Order: sequence, then C-alpha cells, then structure tokens
Amino acid sequence: MMHRRGVGAGAIAKKKLAEAKYKERGTVLAEDQLAQMSKQLDTFKTNLEEFASKHKQEIRKNPQFRVQFQDMCATIGVDPLASGKGFWSEMLGVGDFYYELGVQIIEVCLALKHRNGGLITLEELHQQVLKGRGKFAQDVSQDDLIRAIKKLKVLGNGFGILPVGGTYLIQSVPAALNMDHTRTCLLCSLFQKKGYVTISEIQSSLKWEAQRAKQVLDHLLKEGMAWLDTQAPTEPQYWLPALFTELYSQEITPEEAKEALP
Amino acid sequence: MMSFESPWQYSFPPFFTLQPNVDTRQKQLTAWCSLVLSYCRLNKLYTMTVTEAQESPLFNNRKLQRKLPLESILVVLEELRKKGNLEWLDKNKSSFLVLWRRLEEWSKLIYQWVSKNGLTNSVFTLYELSNGDDTENEEFHGLEESLLLRALQALQQEHKAEIITLDDGRGVKFF
Repeated sequence: MMHRRGVGAGAIAKKKLAEAKYKERGTVLAEDQLAQMSKQLDTFKTNLEEFASKHKQEIRKNPQFRVQFQDMCATIGVDPLASGKGFWSEMLGVGDFYYELGVQIIEVCLALKHRNGGLITLEELHQQVLKGRGKFAQDVSQDDLIRAIKKLKVLGNGFGILPVGGTYLIQSVPAALNMDHTRTCLLCSLFQKKGYVTISEIQSSLKWEAQRAKQVLDHLLKEGMAWLDTQAPTEPQYWLPALFTELYSQEITPEEAKEALP
Repeated sequence: MMSFESPWQYSFPPFFTLQPNVDTRQKQLTAWCSLVLSYCRLNKLYTMTVTEAQESPLFNNRKLQRKLPLESILVVLEELRKKGNLEWLDKNKSSFLVLWRRLEEWSKLIYQWVSKNGLTNSVFTLYELSNGDDTENEEFHGLEESLLLRALQALQQEHKAEIITLDDGRGVKFF
C-alpha cells in the first residue's frame, strides 16, 4: 500500500520519475522476452534443421514420410513449398522436387490432351508420371501429385482438381468447366461407372430436365472432353476418354510427347 | 477381326460416330487415317472398293457392334486423298488405291534394294521384282503392278532406271 501524499510539484516530479523507471523496466523486460523468444526460435530452427538434414534422405525418398513431414510443418504454420529460396528448399530440395514434379505433370497432361480433352484421373496421371520419371527417380505418391498441382494453380486457373467418388479427376485446360462445381462432380461420378452417360440417366439420377442435361453434355462435347456415340442401342451415349479404362497406361507415343513441347 | 494391335480408339464406341466438335473430329480423322494405312499395310492391300471397305473389319467392329457409316467412310477416304495417301480409281468414287507409302518412298525402297545388292546394270521383269524369291523379304514384295510401274517411272525420270519392253511384258534395267 502506498501512502497518500500531498499533490505538490515535488510529488508530480516523483511520479514522472517512477513512470519513466517503469517504462524503462518494461522495455528491458520486453527485450528480454524477445531475446529469449528468438533464442527459442533459433533452437527450434536448429532442431528442425537438424531433423530435416538428418532425415533428408527419407523425406526425399519416402512419400509416406514426406506426407507426415508436410503435416508436421502445416501444424506449426510452416509451408516448406512457399518459397523457392527458403532454407527448406536449400536444406531439402523439396522446392525443386515439387517444381520438377509440376513440370512433369504439365508434360503428361499436354501429351495426353489430344486423347482425353484435358481430363485425366489421378491414378492414370500417377502411372504416367511414374513411367516418365524412370526407375531410379525418387518415389512419388498421389499426395505429392495433389500438392504439386495445387502449387501449379498459382500459374492461373489452368489446373483444377475435381473430387469424383473417392478419387480425383485432374483438369488441365483453363476455364473449360464453367458449369458449377457440384454439377460437374455429380456428372463425373455418373460417368465413372461405365465411362459414359446418357441424357435419361442424368434425368433419373439428378432429377434434371432433359434440356438441362443436354446442355451440360453439349458443353462437354464443345470443350472436347466428351465424345458422342449415336449407334448405341437405345439412346446416344456421351463418353469421356478420361474414364475409358482401355486407354489407361497406354504408352505416350513420340508424336504425343511432341505435343508437350511449346 | 483386326489382325494387328489396333489403337485404343478402335475399341472406343464413339470412334464410329463422326464427332460434332470440329477439334475432336480432326483428331478422330487423323486416327482413322493412320488406322486405314496400317491396316492396309499389314494386310498388303492396295486396291479396295468402297463396298468392300464398308464390310471389312476396318470400318466394321463386330465385337463392338459399331460401324462407321458410309458418309463418314467417304470423309475419311477424302482426308486420305488430301494427304496423298489415296487415289480414286474411277469417277464414281467406288474403288480406290491406297498408298500406305507415297510413290517416292516406294521408288526409294526399290532403288535401295538394288544398290545394296549390287544389282545395278541388271535386268528384271516387273513380275520378278514384285513376286520373285529375291525380294521376298522386302516391303515392296507384292506391290501392286500399276504402283510398281509408276515407282519405276519415277526412277527413270531420275536416270536410275530404264523401263524396257520384253517379249512377255515389261522389264526394267537399273543404273
């Protein structure tokens, strides 16, 4: 408890002095805290670096390990892919890894675009990328592909990931699917069963008007993603080469590889 | 059935419907053209009537129960003609000659065989060239006669051969 004193000029001066002292003390404390914090951060960084360099090989080689490392980084708010120049990429080469993977994804998508109109299943993309990388390259998981594709989105709206009943369709043509997202995904799941759909199938499963179903399918034809078969027994079928299973894992021909060049 | 490893398109039902989208159709026609050429090459087919083509496994996939309609077949054949791989044999466009190798390629193949085997200055009958034992392993073995003649005429233009008349038909001397 402080004693109440008079309110003379001396008291005011004293009070000011006390305030100044508190302030000074506060600054010192804050500086201490800051110093301690940066010390902690340093230790943390050193530990993380140590961890990273110690497990560098595993992070690079083992896709499962990579997923866990990515998750760990995400929980502490670090994105190892955010900067190409950060210590992460220098330390691990992960930046390069995803950059390289992104380029390979683009190459595969462009090479196969004339087959599938720019739509490809994640599985097929995975197969083709693995083939292209050769036996001795580090292993790549589907999770890596999704990460790399998300990074590619920075380049514009050229790449899209459409969830389709448990897996994904990767879209590599800009702005091609301007129908709303849910509609597209619903449709794709319908396609996925057999590789094709008909207008009446859409009508019965999605409760759409025939007109609306036709519009959407015509749009897919227009974008070059679907093919029309008018010789089917009952009604025309709309096919997606992207989901045509006999096309899977077919080698990329030299002519197709040329398509990937600018 | 198709007697060679057919491209994926051959088992893709919409391949047998001419596509409404211009870009897709262009890809489709390109695929059809190369399918026709490889089919003819494999089966050593040089001339065909449109009716034959319509019923051949090439345009009629029985397993899939799809066939390319006549108008679409004509579009494919016309596309091949534009590329220099097909010639109509009559005005009605009812039969055609397939050049799965262009004429100049045939000439080159024949002359390569001649020089490789040191046969310059030798005389052959046309039949010997296309059906003789010596050429059995050559791609031009079995070459259709009018095509062979035209290939040789091209060589004659280049002064690499001279076509001569023999008692029993035509022959050729290479230089």
